[in-house]
Amino acid sequence: MRVIEHKDNVISAIKGRSIARRLLVYIIFFSSFITLIATSIQLYTDFKRDVSVIESRLNEIESGYLASISASLWNMDVRQLELQMDGIKHLPDIQSVRVEEASEQFANPLQLTRGTPLTIRQISREYPIIHRVNDEDRMIGTLYVQASLTEVFKRLWEKVIVIFFSQGVKTFIVSLFILCIVYYLVTRHLTDIARYVRKVQVEEDGPHLQLQRNDKAENDELDDVVQAFNGMMSNLRKAYEDLRQTNAQLEIDILARKRAEQEVLYLNSVLEQKVRQRTAELEAANKELAAFSYSVSHDLRAPLRRIEGFRRILAEDYQQTIDDKGRHYLSRIEAGTHEMADMIDSFLRLSRTTQGEMDVKRYNISEMISLIIKGFQEREPERKVELRIEQEVYADVDKRFFEVMLTNLVDNAWKYSRQKTVTEIRFGTQQEEGECVYYVSDNGAGFDMNYAGRLFSPFARLHKAEEFEGTGIGLTTVQRIISRHGGQVRASSAPGEGATFYFTLWTREKNSGDGNHTASGRQS
Amino acid sequence: MEDNPDDIELALLGFSRNNRQENGSHYYVIEVARNGEEALDFLFARGKFSDRPVGSNPNLILLDVNLPGISGLEVLQEIRSHRSYQHTPVVILTTSDETSDIIEGYNLGVNSYLQKPVSFNAFVELLQQIGQYWLKNNITPPKSALSALR
Repeated sequence: MRVIEHKDNVISAIKGRSIARRLLVYIIFFSSFITLIATSIQLYTDFKRDVSVIESRLNEIESGYLASISASLWNMDVRQLELQMDGIKHLPDIQSVRVEEASEQFANPLQLTRGTPLTIRQISREYPIIHRVNDEDRMIGTLYVQASLTEVFKRLWEKVIVIFFSQGVKTFIVSLFILCIVYYLVTRHLTDIARYVRKVQVEEDGPHLQLQRNDKAENDELDDVVQAFNGMMSNLRKAYEDLRQTNAQLEIDILARKRAEQEVLYLNSVLEQKVRQRTAELEAANKELAAFSYSVSHDLRAPLRRIEGFRRILAEDYQQTIDDKGRHYLSRIEAGTHEMADMIDSFLRLSRTTQGEMDVKRYNISEMISLIIKGFQEREPERKVELRIEQEVYADVDKRFFEVMLTNLVDNAWKYSRQKTVTEIRFGTQQEEGECVYYVSDNGAGFDMNYAGRLFSPFARLHKAEEFEGTGIGLTTVQRIISRHGGQVRASSAPGEGATFYFTLWTREKNSGDGNHTASGRQS
Repeated sequence: MEDNPDDIELALLGFSRNNRQENGSHYYVIEVARNGEEALDFLFARGKFSDRPVGSNPNLILLDVNLPGISGLEVLQEIRSHRSYQHTPVVILTTSDETSDIIEGYNLGVNSYLQKPVSFNAFVELLQQIGQYWLKNNITPPKSALSALR
């Protein structure tokens, strides 16, 4: 079965456009070429040898026949001559023999011919027929002998046919044999390799490429190919496996990422929910605050006004019936109502500074504070003031709120430095940990840092009301406005040595609480 | 119109300080409504004020904003939509200085919005100025001109 299969394979290899077919063609061409040259050489030498044989025979005629022919011709023994000529004629390859008597002695010289002379494929010789008379050689005639080469060519042609036929058969058989060997040694393995490669799967482990070879003496090129291929295959499988693992890892990563994204989405929705909730809460708180400030402005002020109204009527219409002590009490009531009215007003201002939209733009703060201080100076032109304002300080602020804030700070500085002969107010900036810190300082009464924590609480006062007027709401307003500008405010001071208020704007980490911590953080 | 009896008394006291002519008679007569319903009844001569003479419509209306029931602003809206009070001077006199109240008041066509000061002296002064301006100096368009305008 195998043999048949192989034979079919060989035939199909010859028929198809395969290596075997081309090999066969090359072998036949080359072998034919060599055969042609070798045959030509052989034929040429054969031809030479045959011709030399003929020539030596012709030479023998000279030595064997010429003397007797000379004698016969001299004696004019025609019969003898003819016998002798026939003798020559019967020699192999001799085509024709002719004897001519020398013409100058006779009018009708003797001419005898045996055989038909040829014009082609012949070798001709002419021998002078010399007869010795009285020790004198005389040429009495000429012998012409013509040898035919026809036989030679015939033999050569037969030889050519034999050689070509045998060489052709040999070449064909050798070619087939080489073809079989090539098939057996190479082609079938190539086919096997092709079949294997076509079937081989890189995804799964399969058998290694193995060629069916019995003559496993030592490794040859095919083994190298097989080894290289198997090496490549295992590398491929390894690479594929790596790729698969990487893919699996990637899939896991993608899954994890998707899960993380979903989580982010979920958290975002939770966050949004929280923001909505907080916004709603804030809005509610704002509304509450608005209602509260409304009721403060209306409901608290109304009874206060009534108290003051009736006090006034008492004081004016009942002067006679009230004694001095009573009038004194009435003045105390008046002071109290005024104080409370001021507090209600400043409280309202405070609640309004934390409400409303902010319109943040870049402003020249130096100009802003200079204008505010100028306003204070115009109201009290008799005070000596020394200003140190850093110029060209810009910041992103809401003008309305920021002016209220700066006015409160300047008001503070102005108020507490009243007892000094020269009021010093400074404004400037300094860098602290890469952040711009603004400050407003005075040379006024200052305060004890132990109480700094209460500085920014509403209605908290560090000085007696008799010393410095005020409702204790100014710094709370400052703190609220700074807080709305994403900053923090703190103060540093010592009694009698003035006070400095530092504030930042739009700090990177927004841990702006209610600001009291910042102030208390500076406490020792 | 004012709901608080103390405020009514103080306002009347305040007016009385500058509402006395040398011969002892008053420059003007003050009518007090204690809530929105009463004010509208009086102004349109209905309910318990149905017997009020039609020709005696007030020359000046003082309104408080925050009232139980119908508020001052609602009263304002009601009378401004009515022909006979379209050009009567209306002054809001209240303790509230809320921006929303002020804007609402002017939107509804109030002639003046005044905040009651805490100081009684200032209050009396304000009342005096109101009387001086709206009742003595201010000239309202004559009735014939009003009907011509319509």
